[in-house]
Order: sequence, then C-alpha cells, then structure tokens
Amino acid sequence: MAETAIMYDSSKCTACKGCQVACKQWNQLSSPLTSDEYTYTKSFQAPLDLSPKTWLIINFSEEDKAVGIDWNFMRNSCFHCTEAACEKACPVGAITHAENGAVSINQEKCIGCRYCVASCPFGVPRWDEATNTTFKCWQCQDRTTADRKPACVSTCPTGALQFGDRADMLAAARDRVAELKEAGFTKAEVYGENELGGLHTIVVAQRGLEAHGLIRDPKIGLTDFWQLLKPLGGIAAAGVVGALGFSYFMARDYSRDTMVLDDATGQLVKVTEVKK
Amino acid sequence: MRYIQRQSTYARSLHWIHTVACLSLYVTGLILFIPSVAAAVGVSTVQGARIIHRVMAAIFIIAPVVSIFIQPKGFVHVLKGWFFKWDDKDKEFMKKFVPYLLLGGKQHMPDQKYMKSGQALADIPVVLLSIAIALTGIVLVWPDFFGGGAFVRWMLFAHDAVMVLLGIMMIAHIYIGAGIFQPYRGSGRIMFGDGKVSEADALYHWGTWAREVLAEGGDNVTTE
Repeated sequence: MAETAIMYDSSKCTACKGCQVACKQWNQLSSPLTSDEYTYTKSFQAPLDLSPKTWLIINFSEEDKAVGIDWNFMRNSCFHCTEAACEKACPVGAITHAENGAVSINQEKCIGCRYCVASCPFGVPRWDEATNTTFKCWQCQDRTTADRKPACVSTCPTGALQFGDRADMLAAARDRVAELKEAGFTKAEVYGENELGGLHTIVVAQRGLEAHGLIRDPKIGLTDFWQLLKPLGGIAAAGVVGALGFSYFMARDYSRDTMVLDDATGQLVKVTEVKK
Repeated sequence: MRYIQRQSTYARSLHWIHTVACLSLYVTGLILFIPSVAAAVGVSTVQGARIIHRVMAAIFIIAPVVSIFIQPKGFVHVLKGWFFKWDDKDKEFMKKFVPYLLLGGKQHMPDQKYMKSGQALADIPVVLLSIAIALTGIVLVWPDFFGGGAFVRWMLFAHDAVMVLLGIMMIAHIYIGAGIFQPYRGSGRIMFGDGKVSEADALYHWGTWAREVLAEGGDNVTTE
C-alpha cells in the first residue's frame, strides 16, 4: 500500500468545524453537554484544546489588523509522523504505524503511562482518566482501508481537506503554495514534507508556519537519546558485572588470618592462621 | 569471639524495607523500560507492574522520610558518618580501593573509622540520586499537574538516566555489602541478620572504629 496523507489547505478553510463534527460522529466521541465547559477567551475557537474525546479541532489564531482579523486557521490533530516519538516512547508497543503511514493507538494494549503524551512534540495524544488509556486521531483507518476518505476529509465543504497518495498531496500542496505566493501571500509554505521523516498530514500554511502555530523543524532528539539509554545502560551494567566478575575470579582463593585485639597490649593477635 | 553490634534493629528494618522496595522498583521498572520484556509478559502484567511500581515508590520515599522524624538521632548519626574530615588513612584507602577490589583483596588496607571513606563517597551520590529519582517519579505520576510537555519529557529522561546510574551503583553495593566479594564475606549479617560483626571482621574493615568500641565495651560488645 502506498503512503497516504491528509492535506490541509489553510487558505481554503473557513473553520466551519464540519470536520470536527464528522470526526466526533464517525468515531463516536461524545461532546460535553454543559454550557460552561470551556473558559471564555474571546476566541471563536471551540473546543479550546484536544481531549480524549476530541481528536481534531480547528485552531483559531486571530490576529487583529487595522480593519478586521487575520484568522490563520490550523487543523490541530495528529500529524502521523514517520519518526513518531509516541511510537518510540510507548513501552508496550501499543502505538504502531499502518502501511499507509497512519499512526494509531491500540487501546487494548495501552497502559496509560502517558509516555507518548510527554514525547509528542505537537502535544497531540491525550490521556483519559476514566479509562486510563490515551487517545488521538487514527486517520480513520477503518474507512481508509475500505477505500474511503477519513471522516473529516469527506465532510469538508470547501476542499480544504483532501486525502490521497502522499506524493500527490505534496504535489498539490506545492502547487497551492505557488499560487498563494503569486497572489501575494509571500510567506506561504508547505509543512510536513520532511519534518520528522515526513508527516502524513501535509499543511499549506497560507501566512507562514509561525502564523499558523506550526513548529518549524520539530525535534524528537530527547526521545531518541532516551531510547539510546537502553542499550547504553545495558552495556554499562554488563561492564560493571564483568568487572565484578573479574574481581570475584581474582579473589577466588581469598582467605585471611583471624586476628583479634589483645586488650592488654592493644596489639592484634592471630587466633587462627590460614594455610598458605 | 567477641561481636560488636554495628547496626540497630531500626536501621536493619529500614534497610530491609528499602531492599524490598528497591528490588521491586527495579523489576517492575525494567518491565516498562525494556519494550521486549513488556511485550513478553503481556499487557495485564505490565499494568500490574505499574501499580506495584507506584506502591513501592511510595514506600521507597516515605520510609526514610518518616525515619528522620522517628529516629532523628539516627539520622544525625548517618549524616556525621558521611561528612567527616578525611585523614591520610582515608585518602590512602581510596587510592588502594580499586586495585584492592579488582585484584582479589590482597592489598593491605589502612584502618578505617565507623564509615569508610569509600563508603561515604558512594553513599552520598546514592542518596542524591535517590532523591532525584523520587522527585522525577513524582512528576511522572502526576504529569498534568506539572504542566506536561517538554518538562515531563525531560523528567522521564532524567528518571531513566538516574535509574541506570543507581542500578550500576546498586550492583556494586550488593556485590560488596552482601559479601559476595570474598574479603567481605559475612558482611550480610550486619544488615540482613542480627546487626553484629565479629571482632576480627570489624578490626579488618573498620579498624579505628573497632578499637574504639572494644575499648569502650558495654552492651555493644558481646561474646558468643
């Protein structure tokens, strides 16, 4: 199976939130029923953050202009990294890559350690206290393996979300960025081509990465170094055991005379002598 | 043969508790640390290991902290044992210790006080690393409280790095302290038995201290 990707074009997104609703509907993720669940921030964004039951939101980065606002929408969900820090950090192998590049969490295996939560540079996986497991977007693998588009893509009314072969999505993103630059959006960029080995969510960032809250050149160096601790720790422990084994071997014939203190003279007196 | 009471019942009990906690923490921690082990034992065992790890971590932290309040004199005694003024014998001991350890304990070692210079030099980093592993572990139990993200990522790394360092020191501690190393044979009785050390062994390991205690006599010196 070829690698696939979702392409999000921020210049076409109207933040209708249809993708958020479709995600919740398809994946049967309930929404809070109370009216005051979220803190009012003057932003049009809702919900304010991802959660175990919200795997996709459109972030609103509202920037005031002289007249009106630059909205700078951004699809906030799993990027399905090729070098997925969450997968590397998971101690039980609950996080895996599908052949098409999608990264998913097997809740049957998840032990709720939250190492993936700590490791993801994008802060995507969310731990659920009730089930003690972690959740995130799985790129609707039940749909994509049946030749259907992910739920969010299928519902997008403006074509801001597309799904297909990753190479095709990248080509489309590059073309769109060229169009945007011609139209005056000089900071327009493609995101996801090479980041973390290549993402499986490609973004057309209309006003540049920073304006859309994207991390330029994200790193998972610490997670990689953390993984290196395992062989290094093993080698160090083996070295110490080896050195102590050598010590034990060298002392195999060790014995010493039994000496006690002569209280009268303060000198050591030999009680038993070891045969040399 | 005369015997010297080197460790109190309280100190030995605390050591027993910490031994069980430490070994349990290592076994359960390694299940999480090495993915192939986790995969081999299965998810439910890993989940059980995580719960045991946290219970044992609580014991690991609470036991010595409570001891400071129950036995403040003992705590001061331990601190005094670590922070003493090194004399020439202490320096000579440290110079000779590595060849002594690796080449079969054949070198003559200088007399030592209640705490050998090498013991103090090993104990202090072990205590500091233990505090570090406890603090980083607390962050990992409540990552959301500590803000999550990069800070927790660093704490996870630090927790595991300290675990590796402590593990290496622990192996050496067991080898020497439990008397696997032939010149230290019988030392296990001090912490895992009745807390006594024979006059001959005491004079060999802690000559200066043994002479002081034997000269004082009293309840700490018995004949068997």
